[in-house]
Parts: sequence; structure tokens; C-alpha cells
Amino acid sequence: MKEPAVIRVERVFAHPPARVWQALTDPALHAQWWAAGDVRPVVGHRFELDMGRWGMQPCEVVAVEQERLLSYTFAGMSTITWRLEPEGAGTRFTLIQDGFDLDSPIARQAYEGMGRGWPAVIAGIDRVLAAA
Amino acid sequence: MNDVFAALANPVRRALLLQLREGPRPVKELARGFELGRPAISEHLAVLRKARLVREEPRGRERYYHLDPRPLAEVQAWMAAFTHYWNERLDALDALLAKEEKR
Repeated sequence: MKEPAVIRVERVFAHPPARVWQALTDPALHAQWWAAGDVRPVVGHRFELDMGRWGMQPCEVVAVEQERLLSYTFAGMSTITWRLEPEGAGTRFTLIQDGFDLDSPIARQAYEGMGRGWPAVIAGIDRVLAAA
Repeated sequence: MNDVFAALANPVRRALLLQLREGPRPVKELARGFELGRPAISEHLAVLRKARLVREEPRGRERYYHLDPRPLAEVQAWMAAFTHYWNERLDALDALLAKEEKR
């Protein structure tokens, strides 16, 4: 039962950190894989991400290390940190989402909209009960 | 939900929950493994109770604490949903990088 409220997702991409960094920090590219918004790798920069049916969500950049790390608060709900490390010719890419406030409006809506995920949720309950 | 996260954020409370996996325990016994006094342990138990992670049961002059893992399942559900969401987004990112490469 270690730090339950941290989400960590890791991938290795066959593209160098500079390319992945561009996809994270260029609004035109960012909009294509996640959400439209004026993201910029500048600490203190505030922007909004268009989260579709969840509306425009405020973000603020809290940490930047060129081509290595970008971290911003997201929707008053959590902090999102993207970490890039060179791996061979590619990039080890890690997403860390933590500092959750699940009583925030977007978190509530997201939870209520999670209906389709219920089979996975139920499988998760089994695991929790087995571990508890 | 935030009650649950706040409750789990503390190492003493996590250790208490782990002890309760073995079965119901009175405060006296729960306090034994810690350098904290009984009042501090009781306060931690109150936080766990508020988060519905434990419930108490009077047995004679003692109060026994029971683990209730149901809120943990809710946390797990959250984590699973978010992880799924991010995996989909990262698939999209991977596809975008491949497309940009071909230009």
C-alpha cells in the first residue's frame, strides 16, 4: 500500500527526446494527441487546456528542464509531470500524475462519466480485496 | 475520496491498516508497535474512521477496530481509469510522432 494516489505510466518511444519534447510543448502538436491549449515550457506560464465535454481547464507550469521535464498543475485536480530520458536512439517517457484533489468539479465529473470502465473497476476491486 | 487519500498519506495510518489486515484489534494492541502514545494512535484511528477505512466495535470495555477495504477499491478504480486514459493518450502521441517522422 505505497503512495496510492500517484499514477505513473511509462513508455519507450522510438523517437529522440527533442521530438517528444516538441509534441509536449508545441500547442499545434499537443492538440493532436491530447488537448488544445497554449502550452509553453516556461515556469509560471498559465494556460487552459480544452478538455472537450469537461470544458476549458486551467493549468500552470511549475517546472521545466529543457527536453527532460515538464510539470504543470492541471484543472485544480492534480499535477502532471512529463519526464524524458534518452534511451538508445529513442526516449523513455514517464508520466506522473499526483497531488490529487478528487473533490474538484472536473474530478467529480470524470468519476461520474466513468461508467464504461466498470468491468475494469470490478476486476480492480478483486485485486484490492485480495491485497487488503 | 480525499478523505481516503489523506488517510493513506500518513505512514502510521498505513501501518495501522496493515496490522488490521490480520483481523480486528483493540487500540491497546494496535498502539504496541509504535513509539507514539495511545492518544496519538486514537487520533490516527479517528482519521481512518472518518475515511471509512476502519470501523469500531465495542467489546466489553474495549473498542476493537476492523479494516474496511471498500474505499480502497474506489481509489483503485480511480487509478485504473486514469491509467487507461493515459495509455490511450500515449498511443495517440506515439502515432503522431510516427506520422511527423514520415514528413
